[in-house]
Amino acid sequence: MRSAAGVRPEPIAEPMIELRGVWKGFGGRPVLAGLDLTVARGEVLFVVGTSGVGKSVTIKHLVGLLRIDAGEIWLDGRRIDALPERAYAEIRRRVAMVFQSATLFDAMTLAENVALPLRKHRGLRAAVALADARRRLEEVYLGDLADRFPAEVSDGVRKRAAIARALTLEPEVVLFDEPTTGLDPQNARRIDRLIRELADRRGVTAMVVSHDLASIFSTADRIALLYQGRVRACGTATEIRASADPVVVQFIHGHASGPMETPGF
Amino acid sequence: MRGSVAAVGASTMAAARDAGGIAVLALEVARSLVPPTLDGRELVRNLYKMGYRSLPIVTMTALFVGALMVIQFSSFVQQYGARGLVGWGTGYAVLREVGPLMIGLMFSGRVGANNAAELATMTVTDQIDGLQALSIDPIRYLIVPRVLAMMITLVVMTMVGDAVAILGVMLASQALLDIHPLTIWYSLVDNIGAADFLHGMGKALVFGTAIAVSSCYFGLTVKGGAIGVGRAVNAAVVSAAVSICFLDFLMTYLTS
Repeated sequence: MRSAAGVRPEPIAEPMIELRGVWKGFGGRPVLAGLDLTVARGEVLFVVGTSGVGKSVTIKHLVGLLRIDAGEIWLDGRRIDALPERAYAEIRRRVAMVFQSATLFDAMTLAENVALPLRKHRGLRAAVALADARRRLEEVYLGDLADRFPAEVSDGVRKRAAIARALTLEPEVVLFDEPTTGLDPQNARRIDRLIRELADRRGVTAMVVSHDLASIFSTADRIALLYQGRVRACGTATEIRASADPVVVQFIHGHASGPMETPGF
Repeated sequence: MRGSVAAVGASTMAAARDAGGIAVLALEVARSLVPPTLDGRELVRNLYKMGYRSLPIVTMTALFVGALMVIQFSSFVQQYGARGLVGWGTGYAVLREVGPLMIGLMFSGRVGANNAAELATMTVTDQIDGLQALSIDPIRYLIVPRVLAMMITLVVMTMVGDAVAILGVMLASQALLDIHPLTIWYSLVDNIGAADFLHGMGKALVFGTAIAVSSCYFGLTVKGGAIGVGRAVNAAVVSAAVSICFLDFLMTYLTS
């Protein structure tokens, strides 16, 4: 395990995602300060850290919703950070993102939400896309709720529907932004199981932003702790648990006081 | 004093930035129409929501606008005995000016504000980012159908409103001035040509475009949660009202 600020990651045999020396700031304040991070093909990597440390910012760069100030981002051996907006259309079909707020469209039922990318990208007719969407919702145990609107269902249901929608284009990579935040433990574990199944059964690479320690330690292949704009520690759950780094220890034990500087405190 | 100057400067800069942003969005919409890959379901959904549901309020307002014009006209009619000019005078005003202007302003308050609120809510809840992440272009999928729907709807609403306003003129003339509706009708068709009608429709088309693009712009550029949504709606309505009045003046001046 690496456990020192600013150390470059150990080489990974088959990297799917590589962030090299990435810098990103907002209003003159750097959030990412030379971030190096590599995710292997088929791996479930959890990106953890305190609020405001740049976890969501990191994954938004991978689908072009934000642009880096400096550094490089590589996807499956191709540099993508300098691509024009139009070129991201192809990237976004390979890299899906599930947002913290699910981002289902309010005016559509769950089935219509899932059918939308099928209509737009697969060219399916509305009835065929809806039938396919219902089948996909059944895969995430939401077959009975397919005709409900997002406002009529719980957060957990919305998030599972968002995952079903993100998987419609059979992506190679799925980015999850705090998928279990705000969910009860049962729903949170269901989401964890879905993420694990994606990697184990479909070979999908997953990058998961999370604060949920139960989720992190039960689901991750590796965990990367972001701190002060860089990876402070990266390793398996066992390695992270065994870390003597006081910042890592404070984070995983949730101590209010310690060496960790938290924005806003 | 320096504070006031700075405030004026900041407002001017903000207005220039918004005007530029609206122009850029209009160009993006135009570019997205080549080739015309339009989501038909979204277009139909918006036409229904914006058009069909606006019909009751448009007809109600137009009816009273027609009647009000007769009330304003009545003193001159009685003073000069110009009963034969009521149809021409009111029809000319309705078709060329009052119809497009009143219905445009009302459309802005109802449909433009609603559109800005809906898009702003989608923006602050990351639904627009969600669309992009699904590799769906928000301009092509969300904005183009809304702009087209508002343009088409305002033209149709103005036609309907004009007809209802003239009906209001007929009813009010009969009730208040004892002028037979056929007298109004002949005065109208004898003195008003297709150019007057097309002038009003041209205005409706331009107003519809202005309302659509400005409400979409303020909806997409919102910042700051629920407070931001309120500000976006306010800015969309004010911007549309100012645009409608300015464009009305410009088009009337250039064609008179």
